[in-house]
Amino acid sequence: MVLVESGIKVRKSNSKINKNYYGYIFTAPFIIVFLLFSFYPLIYTFYLSLTDMTIMSKTYNFVGLNNFKQLFSDDFFIKSVLNTWKIWLMNFIPQLGIAMLLAVWFMNNRLKIKFVGLWRTVYYLPNLLMPVAIAALFYNLFSRYGPVNQIAVRAGILEEAFDFFRSPGWTQSIVAFIQWWMWFGVTILYLMAGMSSISPSYYEAALVDGASSWDMFTKITLPLLKPVLIYVLVTSLAGGMQMFDIPYLLTDGRGSPNGSIMTMSVLMYMKFSSGKGFIGAGASVAVMIFIITAISASIIIRLLREKE
Amino acid sequence: MSYTIKTKLTKTFIYIFLVILFLITIVPVWILLINATRSTPEIQQGVSLLPSNNLLNNWKYLTGKGANIWRGFINSALISIPATLLTVYFSMMTAYAIQVYDFAYKKILYNIIILLTIIPTQMASIIGFYKYMSMLNLLNSYIPLIIPAIAATPMVFFASQYLESTLVKDLIESARIEGASEIGIFHRIILPIAKPGAFTMGILSFVASWNNFFTPFMLISKVEKYTLPMMVKLLRGDMYRTEYGAIYLGLAITVIPIIIVYAMFSKYIISGISLGSVKD
Repeated sequence: MVLVESGIKVRKSNSKINKNYYGYIFTAPFIIVFLLFSFYPLIYTFYLSLTDMTIMSKTYNFVGLNNFKQLFSDDFFIKSVLNTWKIWLMNFIPQLGIAMLLAVWFMNNRLKIKFVGLWRTVYYLPNLLMPVAIAALFYNLFSRYGPVNQIAVRAGILEEAFDFFRSPGWTQSIVAFIQWWMWFGVTILYLMAGMSSISPSYYEAALVDGASSWDMFTKITLPLLKPVLIYVLVTSLAGGMQMFDIPYLLTDGRGSPNGSIMTMSVLMYMKFSSGKGFIGAGASVAVMIFIITAISASIIIRLLREKE
Repeated sequence: MSYTIKTKLTKTFIYIFLVILFLITIVPVWILLINATRSTPEIQQGVSLLPSNNLLNNWKYLTGKGANIWRGFINSALISIPATLLTVYFSMMTAYAIQVYDFAYKKILYNIIILLTIIPTQMASIIGFYKYMSMLNLLNSYIPLIIPAIAATPMVFFASQYLESTLVKDLIESARIEGASEIGIFHRIILPIAKPGAFTMGILSFVASWNNFFTPFMLISKVEKYTLPMMVKLLRGDMYRTEYGAIYLGLAITVIPIIIVYAMFSKYIISGISLGSVKD
């Protein structure tokens, strides 16, 4: 009996040890494709940023940090960094604020808001639509003879049609608005998912102690929501720093008017697609996008984590 | 009494706010669909929330002028369908391995996947990717748009979250005792159990691939290989500059399939997004 039992045990644990090498087999396709198509291109872009390669020329030279030196003395680059941050902040602050408000309302048991499913389903819709179509749509909506002007003039808000895309401030605001329009529904879903994992017993105990809704929000919801908040903040920041589709497609692809919506990615593409096709210079912008994203993300994570 | 009045006022205010946001979300899309049925003079005269009868003329103008929307549809499908299948299958497989087996670099792999889910590197690596593909003679090929779908990090993260909540380890153990092979267990037990999750992943990756503008735009220069988003960009070129009805119809055609898919499967999509966030 004893022999048989221990025999089974040995066989069982053996089979488990033997099976673990499937971990290597099952992850191999992912790892190989990741290394070939994600990791290598990233490293290669870093390498290219140290060269003066163009699409047209057959040979190229290693120029060290020359591309970066030029970037930092280039007003266009500084402007693109500022534009990117400005547009991201103009979109993210109202996005987080409104999403937080709605998530709190939707999750509040005393308010009992109706049709929560419908509201959040509708708010999420813009995120699924094709950015190319969205850019074309909003360009037409805000164009000189478009619906926004028609309504505003007829309602007496504007005396005559206004050229939104000739005003840098308005164009930046429209890009920020489109980004907000596309993403606030997603943020609601994230915040609600985070809130639903907070145990109701905390709120019940707080109610017994006579806490106000504001106290419960600042002392229970916010602290326990921190991981989700960090996630929302960092993913939005990473997306915002790489913002390309809407600012590129909304106007002429060169950040018009007056370079106001030329983000870092748009600038990178402008260098790449210019007459000569500056691969090295474009790659140096790409590296800066990567560095700025990585540094600001890690600062945010560290700041928010340390407060605990 | 004052308490109930206060709640009622608050609730009224909340509903007004919700309706305003509802209108901000829906009206642009609605105008897009409606204008697809209106003539250019009608569009220029003013806004309407009711359809007109110019759909057929817009259609004739749209298809009569070079930009072949259907070609874009087919090309996009040729990329998005295989890319989606690869993403779903291999993301499940990778996530399954992470959840079930113990192997040397499991932790590191999972941490890298989380990191890349939060901070994607597509934009930072696209120029190297372009140069690399041009050296391999793969510009104007769909291979660089399909094969990388095998390593879709956000979907591996999603699949891992999903499997963690649905996987029954005893089931795997008993299948092993009955002599099932590991790949057999994955195909015949895990994939069927994970079907709802796989379906959500499928929709999300399909939409992402379908809407993707930048990568194809970088790699493809032959017009006959243009994807749908690239065709839509053509709509804004000189040919259609003043034909607003045709432009709106072109935009509507690209948006309608997504709206239909969303109307049918919004529950899967919404629950999928909620599952995709980091909670721990």
